Amino acid sequence: MDPLIVTQAINVLYAVSTLAVLALGLAVIFGLLGVLNIAHGEFIMIGAYCAYITQSNGWPYLAALPLTLMICGLLGAVVEWTMIRPLYRRPFDTLVVTWGLSLLLRKIAEAIFGLGYRSLAIPLPGTVQFFGTEYPIYRLVLIALSCAVVAGLVIWYGRSRTGSQIRAMVSNPELAQAYGISVRRLAAGTFITGTCLAGLGGVMVAPLVPVQPFMGLDYVLRTFFVLIVGGLGSVPGLLSGAAVIGGFDSVVSAATNATNGYFAVLVLSILFLWLRPRGIVARG
Amino acid sequence: MRAASLVVLVTIVLPLVLSQFWAYQLGLYGLYAVAAVGVGLCWGQAGFLPLGQGLFFGLAAYLSGLAFIAFQDHLLIAVVALPFAVLVAGLLAYLIGLVVFRRPDQSGAYFSMITLALCLLAFQIATSWNSVTGGFNGLKGIPGIPGLDDFSDVYYVSAAILLVVLAFAGWLYTAPIGVLWRALAQNERRLQLFGFNTNQLKSVAFGVSGLMAGMGGAIYAPQQGLVTPQVVGFGLSADLVIWAAVGGRGSLLGPAIGALVVGSLTAQLRDTVPFWEVLMALFFIAIVLVFPKGIAGLAEPFARFLKARTSRPALTAPKSTADKPPARLTIEGIGVHVGEVTILDRLSLDFEQAGIFCVIGPNGAGKTSMFNVVSGELDAASGRIGLGDADIVGLASHRVSSLGVARKLQIPSVFPELSIADNLAIALWSGRASKLQLLDPRLRRWTSPMLRELQARYPFLASGSRKAAELSHGEQQILELSMALLTEPRVLLLDEPCAGLSPAETAAVMEIVRWAAQRLGGAIIIIEHDMSLVKELAEVVYVLHNGTLLAKGSVAAIQADPKVRAVYVGGEK
Amino acid sequence: MTIQKQGPTRRTLLSAAAAGAAFGTLPGLIRPAAAADEFKIGLFIALSGPASLFGPTQRACAELAAEEVNKAGGILGRQIKLIPTDAGGPPAESTKSAIRLMLEEKVDLFVGSHDSATREALVATIKGKVPYIYTPVYEGGECAFNTYVLADTPEQQIRPSLTWMMKEKGAKSIYMIGDDYVWPRKCNEHAKQYIAENGGKVAAEEYVPFGAPNKFEEVVTRIKSVKPDAVLITLVGADNVNFNRTFAGFGLDKDIARLSLLLEENTLLGVGAESSKNLYSSMSYYANAPGDANKKFKQAYVAKFGDKAPQLSLIGADCYAGVYCAKELVTKAGGTNAQKCMAASEGLTIPSAAGPWIMHGRHVDKTMFLADCKGTEFDIIKTFPNVKSGDECKA
Repeated sequence: MDPLIVTQAINVLYAVSTLAVLALGLAVIFGLLGVLNIAHGEFIMIGAYCAYITQSNGWPYLAALPLTLMICGLLGAVVEWTMIRPLYRRPFDTLVVTWGLSLLLRKIAEAIFGLGYRSLAIPLPGTVQFFGTEYPIYRLVLIALSCAVVAGLVIWYGRSRTGSQIRAMVSNPELAQAYGISVRRLAAGTFITGTCLAGLGGVMVAPLVPVQPFMGLDYVLRTFFVLIVGGLGSVPGLLSGAAVIGGFDSVVSAATNATNGYFAVLVLSILFLWLRPRGIVARG
Repeated sequence: MRAASLVVLVTIVLPLVLSQFWAYQLGLYGLYAVAAVGVGLCWGQAGFLPLGQGLFFGLAAYLSGLAFIAFQDHLLIAVVALPFAVLVAGLLAYLIGLVVFRRPDQSGAYFSMITLALCLLAFQIATSWNSVTGGFNGLKGIPGIPGLDDFSDVYYVSAAILLVVLAFAGWLYTAPIGVLWRALAQNERRLQLFGFNTNQLKSVAFGVSGLMAGMGGAIYAPQQGLVTPQVVGFGLSADLVIWAAVGGRGSLLGPAIGALVVGSLTAQLRDTVPFWEVLMALFFIAIVLVFPKGIAGLAEPFARFLKARTSRPALTAPKSTADKPPARLTIEGIGVHVGEVTILDRLSLDFEQAGIFCVIGPNGAGKTSMFNVVSGELDAASGRIGLGDADIVGLASHRVSSLGVARKLQIPSVFPELSIADNLAIALWSGRASKLQLLDPRLRRWTSPMLRELQARYPFLASGSRKAAELSHGEQQILELSMALLTEPRVLLLDEPCAGLSPAETAAVMEIVRWAAQRLGGAIIIIEHDMSLVKELAEVVYVLHNGTLLAKGSVAAIQADPKVRAVYVGGEK
Repeated sequence: MTIQKQGPTRRTLLSAAAAGAAFGTLPGLIRPAAAADEFKIGLFIALSGPASLFGPTQRACAELAAEEVNKAGGILGRQIKLIPTDAGGPPAESTKSAIRLMLEEKVDLFVGSHDSATREALVATIKGKVPYIYTPVYEGGECAFNTYVLADTPEQQIRPSLTWMMKEKGAKSIYMIGDDYVWPRKCNEHAKQYIAENGGKVAAEEYVPFGAPNKFEEVVTRIKSVKPDAVLITLVGADNVNFNRTFAGFGLDKDIARLSLLLEENTLLGVGAESSKNLYSSMSYYANAPGDANKKFKQAYVAKFGDKAPQLSLIGADCYAGVYCAKELVTKAGGTNAQKCMAASEGLTIPSAAGPWIMHGRHVDKTMFLADCKGTEFDIIKTFPNVKSGDECKA
């Protein structure tokens, strides 16, 4: 097989799977709680900086995970308690307040780390022969990891007791409360899960992208469009959205150039928002 | 008037007090303020948040810039061309609104995201289309408006436009259309049930905001001499939202204050005050959480002091425009399915054109769903609904309402943040006010003989300035019922009108219903659970079960019917 | 309807007091205190926005130069006062700041280190009323009245280095990748000329949207299939970092050389040691550039700022040169009269951090360096003395 085609095909897979895992946190928060968390990108940024701290201290890369979970979890809890909880029924206000939050987080990152780019050494450097072409090992690992994370979350959500409690809360909060489900704690937990997932995504992509305080902005728009195209509140929706947005961008960029890819994503998102606002897979 | 004169005075005097640079700065930020007023209109009045107003500001700026460059030898032509640039922006906004709001289930978040995506698209186009827009470096060499060379001249142009826009917005906000926008933000469904095409209302709001943004942009080009893609992009759009929020999106002056004060202070202090942006972010968060009314909210008591309150005489509303003789409502073979579940199963009912009818049935029988199909809020998979000669199945709910079908919802549904007077006025405008009349503030003083009669019975309906939210549950029921009656419908659908009422309140409602039946001469269809009420009021009773008609007849006949008893009691006696 | 009377409540009075206080302090904000006979330089640097990572070093280098000049007597006896102003926002903001600096601070001269869109706006605003010295890398072609350009031009950056690449490294086919705006496009125009002169060919010319969140897997894969000898990179900032890391991540750095035109210390740190093999950069200043001038400069820099010294790079060093240019220009012209400055600028010698520069046609001829990246350090392998700007203004 033509190595170029194979490589571009893997690129598409990479684009889709990383987009899915990066959008996961947002999908959880937007889809389940109806909260527009514009600061989502900043939690990814926090994860990336946690990875940086881990590496510059000489710890093994995996140590970034507990560090990220701790910081994103704590921060998520504080944010949920102070900013999100009062505003659950007001989507515009959560949008606006999380925007202020994202400004704040960027400035704090700038104050601590400065504005320069940080580079992380890739944990698994080098390339490997794969279907007749050379492909970076770490990216292949990421593809596998992303699938694992998404699959793991889906299974947990579908099978676990907490998962069914969340489903109950989403469809009928009053009834769920009446059944003794602590909606408050569950909502907070959902939000924290969302921010932790974002941080996790940051740890995963940190070795591959320039790490700097503004990096979150790149992700917010892409991930929002993934959700809107794919449909809220469902994992098939998330995956189809990632497939469409990531896939389209990658394919068009591969076939023509990056500008067309970017244009294609914007136009596609607008079309979806207009023609199929519930997304490809509407909430069942 | 006092407030308005004060504002104009300050505007004229200000540049004389301040330096030339501040005149220039306020002149620039005045243009942004004009666009911010548009954001306030959409967000603070009509309740949806446009995240991409830069699109319209920038579009008008580029058009204006191109016109000025094209006509640089005949600059007066360019000046004449300015309104066209503005109109293009406004028209584009209106069309986008029409197209986007038409979709069902358009929650505000989607609209916001579409405007954001459009703005990003415009930014990319502006950056890439080098030959027309000058690409990233922008459209340069735009000549200035002839006769305005000094920095402070720019201020006066901006100030004039800002004042005109504020006056225009102020007029719209006090006109019926402003009341309708605010009503829309609070309870869109209820407004549709009064016969108002809310999609069009929102599109008009968006179009006007596009016009305002366009006005700012059209002057920006000749003033700056350079138009870069940033003007179309997300940065400006985001700033407009922040300024509107901080200034106070719900008030008239708020967004303008936000742009002028916060905008210029930020530019001024950003270089000198460390962590200025952190402070702004915290301030911004505080505004949203604690101070949603923004700076304008702080000034509210001051503003009240300025506003003179005079009472003006009421005007009598004209008779209803549509010719609405009594009509029979017939439901034929209506089927409604949601997924696997059948809600209505080939339901067929027909009602006489006048009288009081009750629909009863156990929970889940489909009573409210039947109402929803009639009022156009639920889609029927099959069947026909006749109102007189017309087939109304599948019509949008505002269309059905305008044909003379009024509805009172199960949970009292009024416009809580509007005054009682405005609530009642909306009912009066339904079916009587033409589109053009909605711009006439005098309509807010409409009354009708029926309203006077209602106010005689229920004096609280006359305490016009109280907010509807301050009323008790029972009073809200009566308010909503009155509003439905005021539209003088030929078919009135009442969904459990006495739910949650005390015995005294229940008796009052029953009295109104009887009075209304006589007064309006149309059909009143009531969903009720309380058999004592049904006995008192109903001429004919319809029993629904599992989405289909089980029995129909007088109260006595229904009570004796074994089928009915089986359903209610669960077995043969 | 009754008329409601509302007397002034406490809240009203407090609001009025607050408004009054705010209004009272406004004049203070509007008219800053005037100091005696300073030479005011409006310094436009990136204090916000994507280029703000250079802000600290721009400011530090400019302050160092100002301090040195002041110690030596200032400009014509007047002590320099720098007024750092943000140029990282939209051009309209910079325009406004320029107006403020001219009307209120009455600056004597501008030194600017920012992008071209802002430069165009400033040129239109300043209208040559005061001298304006523009310092960072740019695309050439600025000949406005009373405007002096210290920037590296495409001819300076590309001709010697690309020629070396093609002759010494035997690179025949060149792949050009850049951000889509005027500087990369102009650079590539020049590059195509030099490629033709040296008997090479252009493998491809590709652009990515400027300001969009770009990723480079597809581009890199395309380069891999085309198999050029070298890649000429005119990407900036995060795109530059991202591209280089992806390029190396796919293993292309083994066979294909890269020449990046805006690769300075901060960006190289971002690129990282693993991704910087076979990567070259060509600019007029590096922190470890050879020569006494740089040694002295670095000593003074470290002495002044100590541990907190922001990373030295071209963008900052240019501001140092900018302030010195101001001193030399005004001293030679005997004042800030525009005509005299224009005349004095011809043949002017400017002491930059890397050595003296000579101004011709309001652009400077300078020594260019070609550096190989070793880890996160630059190793200067070639020095091209006295490279002409190629952009001398005729009038």
